Amino acid sequence: MAEARYLYCIFEGSEEITLGNIGIEGSSVYAISYQDLSAVVHNCSPEPYKSENQEKVKLWLTTHAKVVEVAWERFGTVLPLGFDTIIKGEEGVAPDENLKKWLKGDYENLTQKLAKLKDRAEFGVQVFWDPKIISEWVTEKSPEIKKLSEEIKSKSKGLAYMYKQKLENLLKKELEKEADRFFKVFYDQIKSCVDQIKVEKTKKLEEDKQMLLNFSCLLFKGKSKILGEELEKIEHLKGFSVRFTGPWPPYSFV
Amino acid sequence: MEPSRDTHATLVDLLDRILDKGLVINADIIISVSGIPLIGVNLRAALAGMETMLKYGVMQAWDEKSRAWEREHRKKNVLSLVEGEEIALKMYGSYYYSKVIYHTWRPGYFYLTNNRLIFYRQDFGEITFQIPLEEIKALVTREEAHFVKGKKKQVLYLIDKQDQVHRLSTAETDQLKDAIEQILVTLGLSLEVSPVLPEFEKGPIDFLTEGEEVTHRGKKVWYLVPASGIKQETWRPGHLYLTNKRLCWWYDFERKLVFDVPVDRIVRVNTEMRKTSGLDSKKEKVLDILYEVNLTKRTVSFTGEEIDEWAEALNGIISGQMSEDTEKINA
Repeated sequence: MAEARYLYCIFEGSEEITLGNIGIEGSSVYAISYQDLSAVVHNCSPEPYKSENQEKVKLWLTTHAKVVEVAWERFGTVLPLGFDTIIKGEEGVAPDENLKKWLKGDYENLTQKLAKLKDRAEFGVQVFWDPKIISEWVTEKSPEIKKLSEEIKSKSKGLAYMYKQKLENLLKKELEKEADRFFKVFYDQIKSCVDQIKVEKTKKLEEDKQMLLNFSCLLFKGKSKILGEELEKIEHLKGFSVRFTGPWPPYSFV
Repeated sequence: MEPSRDTHATLVDLLDRILDKGLVINADIIISVSGIPLIGVNLRAALAGMETMLKYGVMQAWDEKSRAWEREHRKKNVLSLVEGEEIALKMYGSYYYSKVIYHTWRPGYFYLTNNRLIFYRQDFGEITFQIPLEEIKALVTREEAHFVKGKKKQVLYLIDKQDQVHRLSTAETDQLKDAIEQILVTLGLSLEVSPVLPEFEKGPIDFLTEGEEVTHRGKKVWYLVPASGIKQETWRPGHLYLTNKRLCWWYDFERKLVFDVPVDRIVRVNTEMRKTSGLDSKKEKVLDILYEVNLTKRTVSFTGEEIDEWAEALNGIISGQMSEDTEKINA
């Protein structure tokens, strides 16, 4: 039974195409068009994909990514959809009709977005620091902290504990100050070589690696070299490391 | 440095995007999947020993702050902060702005930072008021009549170290006060415990009608009481008030409104230097106001230190009315 359409992405064009059985669970992927806008879809039942089996979900996700990727390579510019976007039909209205209605209603908006994203790709930029190395450096730099850590050595056990707490608070404050400073510097540095930048939530990694910033950047597909050079400068700073991923379809800029 | 696509870590980066992002269709033709976030969370946990969302801790507050900074940074008309300054609280409210005889509550935003309290009007990019926190001497809240009759509003009186009083108001005036006090505590500053609120309201203003609001008031203004019967005309001391409806003169001795005229009845104002006392020959600046009531033209005269400001304010209103009239005629 096929009464819904699972959406992968939108592209500009009206070719009648099929991409083969590359969809989720081997389904056949093809395009549905309204004028010169097309949606890449597969036929499915009007039920979301969900599962407790993580391996299965992971496979779905990577398949979704793969299909978008294939379309992206073939059609140049796409508006990717997130996982599990399914268009249903209604009484007397086929899902294809609903889909076309949406393409028609949102035509202006969608074509504008496509134009904006033409030949652009998304890159992930994450900068980490090693809190241990940075702490050492901050301690070295701040006379107050340095003095305090010297003083601890001559204190009794109980006092030393109090001092240690004080020291930790002070250090924490200084670290946040530094994080703030670096964030702003890196932000400006990275922003200068990209079209658009989005600040994402940072995440926690291992103990010796703290994520300082997490950006999604939009730029011309072929222009990642300049950004790469800029990131290399950051990578070379002692205690810092950079993760640079992509090119991805512009998931964050649609 | 080259971007990478194929490692375990980059896969996470990509899956994040597919789970959280992509084009959103705001339509009822979509099967709503409330289960998605669940899949997302589970999956993240499974893909991880890896990255979990930042736990509450050292950097959490900072992370949010840095994102907030970026959002603010992108907007136009951003309030510029000095280095190291952070916004602790932003609150919509109003500030009682007064300049010579012009007084009004101005709407805008209060920003409380670790250095200052700022009242900022975004639309104009204007800092109407700011004070370094260490300059705050005392804070008092008091209930005041709202210009909508019968309503009260909580007003925060901020007294600075020069004993100047500032009036602030928000929907949550107490909250603003608490926040300021808290920050002062963390900065090791303290406020005067039982401050004396200097009396700065001149004359009671209980003569306002529904929806009427005083826009101008000032120092003492003398009013020329017309001659009646055998009584000669005499100058009496009191206070002049301009509201959004009327021009009123309050007689200090008798504590009542002796003169008032609707602003749209005022035809012309004029100032002139002339003798105001039979005893000496000193001349003073007198403001003559020509107004029309029941098709009769009358004049009234005032004098005082701020006569020029009053003339200016009234002229502003008259020219405003004239342009309104011309618009009506043109229409």
